[in-house]
Amino acid sequence: MAESICRALRDGALEGELAPALTIKDSVASPFALQVFSHVLSQLFSSILAGKSQSRGLVVVSFSRSPSFYLDLLKNKGTDIASSNNQIQILDCYSDPLGWKDQLAGSRNFTALSNEVLVSSTAIVFREVKHMDKLYNSIIELGKGLVGGGKIRFSIAIDSVDEMLRHAPVSSVARFLSNLRSHDQISSIFWLLHSDLHEARVTAVLEYLSSIVASLEPSHQLANGQRGDLENFSLIKHNSKKGKFHVRFKKRNGRVRVMSEEVHIELSGINFTSLPSEGAINQGLVPKVQFSLQLSEKERIDKANVVLPFEHQGNGKPIQIYDGRRSLVDGKHERPFAAVENVQTNENCGSGEIIYYRDSDDEMPDSDEDPDDDLDI
Amino acid sequence: MAAAKTRTSTFSRNLSTAAPSHGPGLKCGPNGTVFLSSGIPDLDKILGGGFPLGSLVMVMEDAEAPHHMLLLRNFMAQGLVLGQHLLYSSPARDPRGFLGTLPSPAASKDDKSRERDPDQEKGLRIAWQYKKYFGENQLDGQRDGKHEYSNEFDLRKPLERHFINGPRIDCVSIQDCPDLSTLRDRCATFLSQFPRNDGSISCAGRIAIQSFCAPQRAYSNMEWDMLSFIRSLKSMVRSSNSVAIITFPPSLLSPSFCKRWQHMADTLLSVKAIQDEDKELAQLLTGYQDMVGFLNVHKVARINTQVY
Repeated sequence: MAESICRALRDGALEGELAPALTIKDSVASPFALQVFSHVLSQLFSSILAGKSQSRGLVVVSFSRSPSFYLDLLKNKGTDIASSNNQIQILDCYSDPLGWKDQLAGSRNFTALSNEVLVSSTAIVFREVKHMDKLYNSIIELGKGLVGGGKIRFSIAIDSVDEMLRHAPVSSVARFLSNLRSHDQISSIFWLLHSDLHEARVTAVLEYLSSIVASLEPSHQLANGQRGDLENFSLIKHNSKKGKFHVRFKKRNGRVRVMSEEVHIELSGINFTSLPSEGAINQGLVPKVQFSLQLSEKERIDKANVVLPFEHQGNGKPIQIYDGRRSLVDGKHERPFAAVENVQTNENCGSGEIIYYRDSDDEMPDSDEDPDDDLDI
Repeated sequence: MAAAKTRTSTFSRNLSTAAPSHGPGLKCGPNGTVFLSSGIPDLDKILGGGFPLGSLVMVMEDAEAPHHMLLLRNFMAQGLVLGQHLLYSSPARDPRGFLGTLPSPAASKDDKSRERDPDQEKGLRIAWQYKKYFGENQLDGQRDGKHEYSNEFDLRKPLERHFINGPRIDCVSIQDCPDLSTLRDRCATFLSQFPRNDGSISCAGRIAIQSFCAPQRAYSNMEWDMLSFIRSLKSMVRSSNSVAIITFPPSLLSPSFCKRWQHMADTLLSVKAIQDEDKELAQLLTGYQDMVGFLNVHKVARINTQVY
């Protein structure tokens, strides 16, 4: 199922549609979003390198980690960075997001420290994170630098949206993301979010803007405010290594596909396995009652054979309102008519009957003694 | 009163003039309301005729599904096909692009297929004393006027270009506007073309505002401003011959504002997505495979009644 996410990002956008957007969301109880993000990033990049994806390049916008983190990550996964220079670019919003170092350097003739030298030509420092428009333009420029103009697309990874929201209001970030999604050259976009850092409305906005929402939850819910309890310690320990991974896909036809997996964090990376017990997500909507609500075939035929009170009227005989008084004339006509009725209405022998079993014997038998006068059977 | 007039009851309505004849696409209803079609005949039936002129319709979107777009598309296409004026606003940079996705009216089906023989109802048989008095009279009189009021739309076929390029359609993009005054002015100018008076209505107008509190819009933090915009739009629409439809995602509003917006609406609908491959739902609902979502009607307009 993490596989389906990677596939969705790989397949990218259709003509005239918004690009698929993935939100990877976690919380303090299950803080594995970074591992999931890295996993998705490396998967996407390997498919870009192999030529299996719609996008031909990847732009990583890094706010919370240094660009060297990503380069090392990809190196560890076995991809050769040196030769893939033209397929990945990192926009470094981590080193100097507000341009302070530049200002310091300018005002005091301060020489840049050696560890600030760009890691390689793959990372470009961006200094104006408060201006979403400029960020947008830089990303598009970087991407076009990778894949050229025209119809070739590239993907974007943002780590993480939390940092963006520190510097700019929600509506600008929302506009930025939706503009990216509607750009013709963007194949797919995904970002990381720590839901504890924001109000619920902000998380709702980001979920609104994305077409796939992947959230990480702890396998075992801890009771609130009891973190220090010995009992819960083993649960905490448990939760630090594994969790549940829920994904909601918004499909093109308007339906929502919900999937769940278990996620294990190991030294070598992250593993996804299917959930051990497929518990029913919804409570059964069909009510479970003590009597059977279905009919067997024989019961169905019998039911079709029952003659209901007013059904036989209007079949050629003059319509009469039955007022409870039977005249002699009527009595004579009733019988042959009933006989004809029998032949017409059933293929099996006999007509269906409604048999009523009394619930209990001490019911007042008033209904027997006073039949409805106008029931005309 | 003239004695020659036959009276069935003591009270008789004093109609000084004949009922005014209305333009295409308008239907008279009880209590002097005039309806216009939502573009979906079944929805019109559920709502008791359609959307009453002068009402504000609000649709609560589901963030996970684009079903509100279906409602908007049908609403807008219906207006264009009948020659009614349309004002459309969306969060996109170029709202005109959406017009290309409007559906075209479906070819009218054979009317016979719409008849349903009541005696052939499978499933439930009802023993009803007065059944014999009702013949096949119910379906007459509906078919002639049908296409002048509402159409069924085929979503696979786009609307013909001449409908979209006409002078009657106006689009507003307010993505970059910092506040709502532009939109309010455009709505006011649009609605001034259809003032309400006692005469006959020559044409009606439709306003469609899509995803009103979408996060991309710069004013989306200004909740009181948005609420007062809705209020002023409602009052402008009330005194004109038009219907305004606003869609919004309720999950993006704070709960108290969500409630306030719902109260503002004359007619309140909501759409909800369906989960894919939900076995319980498939058992419960026939036709689950073809369904894409749910439509709930929360409130129906009661403008001309004593009940409000």
